[in-house]
Amino acid sequence: MPARLPYTYKYLRSKKKFPHVWCPGCGIGIVMGSIIRAIDSLGWELDDILMVSGIGCTSRMPVYVDFNTLHTTHGRALAFGTGAKMANPKLKVLAVMGDGDSMAIGGNHIIHAARRNIDITAIIVNNNNYGMTGGQFSPTTPQGAKTSTTPYGMIEPDFDVCKLTEAAGANFVARGDVYHVVELDGIIKSALSSSGFSVVEALSPCPTNFGRANRQGDAVNMMELLKNNTINIAQAAKLPKDKTEGKTVRGVFVNRDEIGYIERYQQLCDRVSSGVKK
Amino acid sequence: MSEKPIKGQAKEEHGKTKEGKKPAVHIFPEWCKGCGICVAFCPKQVLEMGRDQKAHVVHPEKCIECALCARRCPEFAVYVSGDHLKEGKKKNGGEK
Repeated sequence: MPARLPYTYKYLRSKKKFPHVWCPGCGIGIVMGSIIRAIDSLGWELDDILMVSGIGCTSRMPVYVDFNTLHTTHGRALAFGTGAKMANPKLKVLAVMGDGDSMAIGGNHIIHAARRNIDITAIIVNNNNYGMTGGQFSPTTPQGAKTSTTPYGMIEPDFDVCKLTEAAGANFVARGDVYHVVELDGIIKSALSSSGFSVVEALSPCPTNFGRANRQGDAVNMMELLKNNTINIAQAAKLPKDKTEGKTVRGVFVNRDEIGYIERYQQLCDRVSSGVKK
Repeated sequence: MSEKPIKGQAKEEHGKTKEGKKPAVHIFPEWCKGCGICVAFCPKQVLEMGRDQKAHVVHPEKCIECALCARRCPEFAVYVSGDHLKEGKKKNGGEK
């Protein structure tokens, strides 16, 4: 390695854990790089950050970064994160989840974390299937897509992560993808710096399972698909509807400043300790 | 295994080129898994896949230091010298 290491290596457990376990061309590493660059540009201390995750490919991420990390049970990243945030509100809690982890097993947790509007940043890496266990369908598998458990095509409609969390009451909702990585850096940075519950859906290729089952080619082809099949929200507003049909819109959908759970809890504590009757 | 010759190649890459200009892009072959993303999306074709199924810096003189290869590398195996990844100093080398 060259003498002068890139600054990202400050944030990695690079001496012990690399190269990582993700398949060649998997987008989770790109999302991890985006998170590191966003945190670096915000200038946060490593000890102030807690990265929580559940089970799955994406949930391997805390193994590789040098923050406070917590690797928990399947789907419960937000539940453990809520507890940690309530115990120490100064912590900056990041929940990193996959699509199965957040939408299927932890589906209720994400709805209620958004309803509570607790100050956690949830980063959902959406690769459209359960990559770790062999490419079974997940709630975000697009209708008609083939997976190992839907060999004739998925018949269920898929979840829209952004619309779901927006309706549930999250303060910040955005979607990015790993091809448009500069945009993803900016989205994650504004998600981390906004108060309340923030959700970032990062579209990511899974060349080993989803790409192979749907004949989408290798990692490069899947990145090309992300390039061609997504459109920025500002561009989509200018174009007529027939040109944006079938394309996934990326960008910031919601950015509101509602009061969060931590503040409401603090107000309750102040009210009760000042001797106000029930 | 063929690990030893790969390490030798890495030393050449991190040294100086024929013109004496130090290359801006560095590849860590130990971490590279050969997905080809950096090679395919480099706007100036600086990188190429080698026979060992790893990316190699072939035309360092063409590099415009946009650092898109380093940003898109899922393996953290690409490093562009300088602080070009930092905000404010980034040059967008053709993200469309």
